[in-house]
Amino acid sequence: MSRAGVRWSRLALLAATVLVLVPFAWMVSISFTPEEQAFSSVSLLPAEPTLVNYVEAVTDANLGRAMLNSLVVTAVPVLTNCVAAVAAGYAFALLPFRGSTALFYLLLSTAAIPTSVTLIPLFLMAKGFPLAGGNDLAGYGGTGLLDSLPGLMLPHLVMTMNIFLARQYFSTANAELAEAARVDGAGEWRIFRSIYLPLSRPIVAVIAIFTFTGVWDDFLWPLVITQSPEVQTVQLALAQFLASGTVRYGTLMAGAVLATLPVLVIFLANQRHFVSGLADGSVKG
Amino acid sequence: MSTSQSTLVAAPAAAPATAPPSPRRRRVRPTRWVGVLFVLPATVYVLVYQLVPVVYGFVLSLTEYSPLSRSGPEWVGAANYTALLHDPDFGQALLVTGRYVLMVLPPTVAIALGLALLAARPFRGVGVFRSALYVPHIVSLTTVAVVWLWIYSPNGLVNEVLTTVGLAPQSWLLEQESALPAVAAMRVWKALGSNMVLLLAGLQSIPGELYEAASTDGAGALQRFRHITLPGLRPILTYVVAMDIIFLAQGFAELFILTGGGPLASTTTVNYLIYTEAFQYNGFGSASAMAFVLFAFIAAFSFLSIRGVAGRRS
Amino acid sequence: MQIPHPPTRRSVLALTAAGAVLSLTACGLGGPAAPQADQSGSGELTVWFPGTNTTEIELVTETIVPQFEQETGAQVEVTFLDWPDMSTKLNAAFAGGTAPDVFGHGPAAVADFVANERVVDLGPFLDQLDAADREDMAAALPGGQVDGTQYLMPLSLQANLLVYDADAFTEAGLDPDEPPATWVEAAEMGAELTERSGDRITRSGLLLPTHPIGLQQSFATLLYADGGRQLSEDGTTATFATPEGEEVLDYITSLFSGEDAVATGLGRDYSTLPPSQQPLVTGDAAMMIATAPQVQQMMAADPDLDLRVAPPMSFDGSTDPAAFGGAGPGLMINADSPDQELGWRFIEYMASPEVAVAYTEGIGAIPMRASAADSGYVQESETLQAFLAAAPAMVPNPNVPGWVQVRDTMAQHLERATNGAVPAAEALRQAATEVDDVLAKAR
Repeated sequence: MSRAGVRWSRLALLAATVLVLVPFAWMVSISFTPEEQAFSSVSLLPAEPTLVNYVEAVTDANLGRAMLNSLVVTAVPVLTNCVAAVAAGYAFALLPFRGSTALFYLLLSTAAIPTSVTLIPLFLMAKGFPLAGGNDLAGYGGTGLLDSLPGLMLPHLVMTMNIFLARQYFSTANAELAEAARVDGAGEWRIFRSIYLPLSRPIVAVIAIFTFTGVWDDFLWPLVITQSPEVQTVQLALAQFLASGTVRYGTLMAGAVLATLPVLVIFLANQRHFVSGLADGSVKG
Repeated sequence: MSTSQSTLVAAPAAAPATAPPSPRRRRVRPTRWVGVLFVLPATVYVLVYQLVPVVYGFVLSLTEYSPLSRSGPEWVGAANYTALLHDPDFGQALLVTGRYVLMVLPPTVAIALGLALLAARPFRGVGVFRSALYVPHIVSLTTVAVVWLWIYSPNGLVNEVLTTVGLAPQSWLLEQESALPAVAAMRVWKALGSNMVLLLAGLQSIPGELYEAASTDGAGALQRFRHITLPGLRPILTYVVAMDIIFLAQGFAELFILTGGGPLASTTTVNYLIYTEAFQYNGFGSASAMAFVLFAFIAAFSFLSIRGVAGRRS
Repeated sequence: MQIPHPPTRRSVLALTAAGAVLSLTACGLGGPAAPQADQSGSGELTVWFPGTNTTEIELVTETIVPQFEQETGAQVEVTFLDWPDMSTKLNAAFAGGTAPDVFGHGPAAVADFVANERVVDLGPFLDQLDAADREDMAAALPGGQVDGTQYLMPLSLQANLLVYDADAFTEAGLDPDEPPATWVEAAEMGAELTERSGDRITRSGLLLPTHPIGLQQSFATLLYADGGRQLSEDGTTATFATPEGEEVLDYITSLFSGEDAVATGLGRDYSTLPPSQQPLVTGDAAMMIATAPQVQQMMAADPDLDLRVAPPMSFDGSTDPAAFGGAGPGLMINADSPDQELGWRFIEYMASPEVAVAYTEGIGAIPMRASAADSGYVQESETLQAFLAAAPAMVPNPNVPGWVQVRDTMAQHLERATNGAVPAAEALRQAATEVDDVLAKAR
C-alpha cells in the first residue's frame, strides 16, 4: 500500500474516531464534574475536575462487587459459546447430516424472538431448575437458580447467533484439509480440535467479544432474577443512579466509564490477535 | 499464520468471483452422523432454553394472563391476535419499527464497511482506532441514551453547534418529524463499532493472495473491491444485516429514555408497546401475541435479507 | 484470545441433557406457579423498597432496619428497586411465586394488586392505632385505599404546586408576595413574565408539564381546580369529557400555541433533567409546576435563586382551590407472606412519627403526618411548609384497577389535542370512550 494511502486512511479514521468519541468524551468529562455542574456547560473540560463521582460510584453502588459478579457471569458463557457454538457451527458447515440444514434454521429462528416474550417462561424455568436452591429432583420446593450467579448465566450459555456466525465462517473453509486428515485416519473430533479450531481464531475472537458485551450489557434478565446485593451485576448497579427524580449524572457516568474499562481491555487484547493474522497477510502485498 | 489462514479458507473466488461458489458446495457430501455429536450440546441447550420458552410464550399468546393473577393463564384462543388486526396503535407501531430499521440499517452498514476497509490496513496505531470506534458498542444503551438526551437538549451540543453557525436551534426529540431520525442517528453511532469489527473479521478471511493475483492482472481498486472484497464479505455481511434487523426491530431502551415513545406515538415501536402491555398493564397474553407478530416480521425480513445478501444459497 | 480448553464432549452433553430434561418436568408449563413451600413465621422478612435514592438507602439500611431488628429480633432483608423497573421485577416475582413479604409501589399500582388478591387489607392493623395517630395521617391514607379499604401505607405525600421565581416577578413589575390566586390569573401573569427574542420565546412565563404522564397530571390539576373529577365516584366511568374538561384542556393548549403563547417546549420532560438544568434555574421559565423534592433540589443547585410556592388555586375563582397530590409511594404486605404481623410491624415502624420524618427528610419529600409541621425538617424550609399547608386541598389520582392504562390512554388523547391534531372536545370524548373500555375490562 502506498504511503499516501496510509496517510489518508489514517486521517479519515482519525476524523471518524473523533466524531464517534465526542459523546463518549462527554461521558468522561461529566464523570469528573461535580454533580451540581453536570451538564451545565458545553465545555469538554470540567472547570473543577473531581474524583468524587468515582468514589461514590464505587462505594454507593458496590460497583467493585458488581463488576466481579459480572466478570464471572460473563466468563462462563464466553467459554461455552466458544466451544459449543463453534463446534455446532463447524458441524453444520462441514459435517452435514440428514436434516442438519432444517435443524440449523430451526435453531437460528429462535434468535429473532423478542426477549419480552421469553422472559417469564425463562424465569419459571430458572426457578424450577432441579436440585438447585433447595429444589428437589422435580424442581419443586425451592427457588432454583433464582438470585444466583448460575441463574444469571442460564440464558446465555449458547447464543444461536454465534452458531450462525461460526457456520458462516466455516462454510468458506477448505474442506480438503479434513479429507486429507481423514485419509490419514484422524477422528472427527481431532480434526476439529487440532486443525480447524486453531485456524479459526478470528471467529472465536469475534464470538468471544460479542458474547462478552452481550452478557455484560444485559439488563432485563439480571433485573428480574436477582434480589440480593451479593449477586448484583454492573448494569443493575449503574441503574441505581438513574432513579427518577434524583438522577445522579456524574456518578452514573463515572460508573459507566469504570464498567466500560474491562470490556475495552478484553477487546484490546482480542483485537490484537486477529490483527496479527491480517497484518502478516497484507504486509506482503 | 498467513499461509495457514489461506489454506483454511477455500478461496470463494479462486475462480472469477462472479461464478457463484454454490455448485461446489452443493456437491453431495456424505452424511456424517458424527456431526450430530458436534451439534448436540448446543442443540439440546437451545431447544430447552430458547425454543421451549418460545413455545411457552406462544401458548401464553393464546391466553389472557396477568402475572399477578392467581388463577394463571386463561385460554382465549386467537382473540389476542384478532384484536391486533383492529388495533390502530399496533399498526402504527409496526410502521414506526420498520421506519426505524430502515433509518439505521443502511447508513450503519455503509459507514461501518467504509471504516472496516480503512481500519483493515496494517499501519501503526490502527488498533487504537479500532478500539476507539468500538467504544460506543460497549457502553450500555441506557447510559449512552442519557448522554444523547443531553446532546439533543435545548442547550445541548447539537443546538450549540447550530447556533454557532447561525441556524435556529431545534427541539429534536419533541417534533414528530425529527424525533425518530434523532434516535436513529444515535443508534447508528452505537452500532457502528460492532458492525465494523465483524466486517473486519470478514475482511481477514479473504486471502491476501487473491488481491496479489488481481493486482498482477492489473485490476484497479474498485474492481478488486467488487470482485474480491464484496464476494468474500458475503457471509459476514449476511450476518451483520440479519443481526442488525433483529436487534433494531426490538429497539426499546433508547426510546424509553430519549422520547418515551412520543411525540404523538411517532417513536412508539412494537417492542415499546409490548413492554408497556406486559409490564405496565400486566397483559402478558396480548403482549406475547404482539411479540409473535413482531417475531414473524423479524424472521421474514431477516430471512429475505439473508437471501438477498447471501445470494441464492440459503 | 486463548482458545479455551474444551471440556470433554461427554460431560458437557450429560450436564446439558440432564438439566434440560429435569427443568422441563419442573416448570409445569402453562399452570400457575407452584406455591411457596419454604418459610414459616421464622422472624424473617424480605422487603422491596421503592426508590434508589442514596440517602434513603443509607438511612434505611444503616439506621431504620438495624433499629427495627434490634427492637423485634427479626431479620430483615431489604432490596431497593429502581422506579422504572419496579413493575417488571414485581410482575416476574409474583408470576414465579417469589415476591417479598413487604413491597413498595406508587398508589397508581395498588388497585391491580388488590384485584388479584395479592395484598393484605391493612384496616384491622390500622384499627389498633390510636384515633389521634390515624388522624395525623389523614391527608395521606386515602391515597392508599381502594374502594375505601386501606392496602397501602404511604411513606410520604406528593403534590404538584405552582412555583415561581420571585426575582422575575419583581423585574416584571409584579409583587412576589402576591402569587396568582387562580389559574386564569396565573396565565395573565405568565404573559407578563414571558420574554421573547423575535418570535421565539426565550423565557416561558408559565410552564406546565406536558410530557405524557406530566400532561395527564397537569390536566388533572386544572380539572380539580375547576371542580371536575377524572372518574366517577365508583371508579367505573370517565367524567372528564365535560365543559370543564374542555375548558382546562384548551387552557393548556393555549399556553403553548398561538401568538399569545406563554410557554415553549411542549412535550419536554423536565422531571429527568438534573437540578442545574431545570428551567427555573437556567432562567428558561418564570413559573412552573414542581414537586417538593424538585424545588429543594433547584434551590440547592442555585442558592441565589428565590423560589416561592403558590398555595393551591381555583381555576377561575368559582370553585374551591385544589391541588393534584396526596399519597406518595408506600408499602404493602404480600397476601402470601407467612408472617403478616411482622410485615405490619415493619410498616408501622416506618410510619411512626420520628422515623417517618427522618425518612422524608432523607429523600426531600413532604412528610405524610400533619404533626411533622413541628419538626425541624419542616420548620427550616418555607417550601415544605407551603407544601404541607396545601395537604388538605390535595386530590389524588383515582385508585382503580387498570389505572396505569387509563392514565396512558388519557395522556395519548390529551397530547393529540395540545398538538392541535384534534379539538379538545373530540379528544376528550374519544379518551372517555377508551377509558370506559379499559375500566370495564379491568374490573
